[in-house]
Amino acid sequence: MTDTPARPRLRPLLTAVAVTLTMTLAAAAACGPDKDPAPRTVDEVLKQTSVYGKPKIRIGVAEDQPLMGKLVDGRFEGFDIEIARYLAESLGFNGDSRIDFVPLQTEDRENALLSGRVNLVVASYSMTPEREKEIDFVGPYFVTKQELLIRVADRAVVRNLSDLAQPGRETCVVGGSTGEREFTGRGLKVYPAATNRECLERLLAGKSNAFSTDETILAGYLSEHPKDLHVVDVPIGANERLGVGVSKQDPALRDLVAFFLRKSFDTGQKTDTSPWLAAYRRTLGPWLGEDVMQPPIDAPDLVDYDEKAPKG
Amino acid sequence: MTAAPPPGPARKRSPWRAGQGFWTVAVGVPAIFSVMRLWIEAGGELQTTLLLVANVGPVNLLAALFTTATRLVTMGLVTVFALGAVLSVSTAGTPRRPPLFARWFTLAPFWFLASVFGIALATWQIIYLPMLAVAAVAVFQRELAALDWSLPRRAATVAVLLVGYGWLVAPTVAEAWRTGELFALGMLVVPPVLALGVTGPLPGPLVRPLAALAQPGIAIVLVAAAVPVVMTPVLPMTVTTVSTASGVPEEVRGHVISTDDVSTVILQERGGVRYVDNDDIAARVLCPTDEELVRYRLRVRDVHVEDSLLGALGRRVRPFTPISAACRIPA
Repeated sequence: MTDTPARPRLRPLLTAVAVTLTMTLAAAAACGPDKDPAPRTVDEVLKQTSVYGKPKIRIGVAEDQPLMGKLVDGRFEGFDIEIARYLAESLGFNGDSRIDFVPLQTEDRENALLSGRVNLVVASYSMTPEREKEIDFVGPYFVTKQELLIRVADRAVVRNLSDLAQPGRETCVVGGSTGEREFTGRGLKVYPAATNRECLERLLAGKSNAFSTDETILAGYLSEHPKDLHVVDVPIGANERLGVGVSKQDPALRDLVAFFLRKSFDTGQKTDTSPWLAAYRRTLGPWLGEDVMQPPIDAPDLVDYDEKAPKG
Repeated sequence: MTAAPPPGPARKRSPWRAGQGFWTVAVGVPAIFSVMRLWIEAGGELQTTLLLVANVGPVNLLAALFTTATRLVTMGLVTVFALGAVLSVSTAGTPRRPPLFARWFTLAPFWFLASVFGIALATWQIIYLPMLAVAAVAVFQRELAALDWSLPRRAATVAVLLVGYGWLVAPTVAEAWRTGELFALGMLVVPPVLALGVTGPLPGPLVRPLAALAQPGIAIVLVAAAVPVVMTPVLPMTVTTVSTASGVPEEVRGHVISTDDVSTVILQERGGVRYVDNDDIAARVLCPTDEELVRYRLRVRDVHVEDSLLGALGRRVRPFTPISAACRIPA
């Protein structure tokens, strides 16, 4: 690293070049904080959302779906509610005093988003191409399948969809839901109810022979009437992906929700504990068994304050 | 050669003056910095500055300064000593008085140089550590030369070091190339090459111009680098949730100056001092600030390039610091 006798003249020149380049590099490092384009941060995107600076965030939820979204003694409970609380807290709305839970009927969900009545919808909302024309979805945060709920007394009578095709038998579904389209498409007689609760009451009263919707919702009603009801595991349509509904007018909010869902997914993958897993194990887990979160699609790569934390 | 200055009283005084200058800077700059930071922290308001001076103890202030300004101080010292070493080697044997930085370098004991580089190694961002390696080679070139290794041994050692470094940073370099982060790429790749050529004397005609430019140049760079350090808060950022008569809690974002039995004094982020009744305080959380956000997504073996070795070690102890929702609330 010192002069070699063979090239005594070249060595000072080499030193001069090295010193000059080092000083240039050092000056650039000391003076120029904006060398490379900075990545988008969570705070930057949050400032672009419609909820930034608002005292409360309005989240559309179901109020009649046990285990998913239900109002119990003035407080909302369920898997969707837990997800909604996680998202609200991530967006800066800590505690129920900063969340307006807006009960929504199944058929009102798109309108509530389009009219700006709610900022988000977390209500067993199936991601369908038709709905995606009107609103944005973030997710899926859960993949569910459609099943049948019947009375225990009918276990021998209603074993599959063919049994429901018998004359005089009807299946109750919520009007406007994806289940309604599945059944009418197969030529089965359906009763389009306004709410899931109405379907449950018709089933318990013997007016309908079956009630079909997502397994998550059915698991909730099964948890309420374990001795009277039975779930028939029949293939009805494709798996449904539940997502969080966001207005197309608020792409920043969509990005943030996707980012935080992805963060929960990543945390669960690494540590076997995450907001999603905690919510699932407190609500659906005991009835549906172990499950894993699906990786949300199109989650943006944003920088947050925990970026330096070890990944491994 | 008859014009060479006689070794008399001037040569005796010059080391003393150089040492005096160095220690004046070493003690005076932190003190001035501390006062400047309090002034800026107070938003330029005299009364708020006085309130801060009255409540922020000198020990706390110096500890906060050490925490946030260590990088700047070590950067200045490393730069000065690296240039001093190069100038010292270049002017060795010449009759003229060595440049100022060369004299400072000559005066600095080995333990001091080693301490400066040790602190820099622990506290600098990892992305800048290759630059520290270049400076270390320049500063310790006499010690390296004193080893008197044969050329094959030297070449083998350099090869092993370069291969080891390449193994360490190769994935990071590839990622930087893929994402187009060219400055980061340059900071990782160029310095090891420069380290190979930074030793030895400069060409004679370059020494004096470099010495003349180095002092104001470093002063300008240090001032530029000092601005963000001076603006770094002295007190931690908190969000205090305060109960209000309307029932809707209010979040006060700012720095807690003091707390007594009756009230808590908060220097608000947007300006102004707020005295909050302790009975009205529902919660208080510690929040990060924008300055802590990273610019790069690059990691060297799972350590973020903008982290220091000390910081990375700390993150191994406490890997995750949850961010409270209250921190997202606008000021």
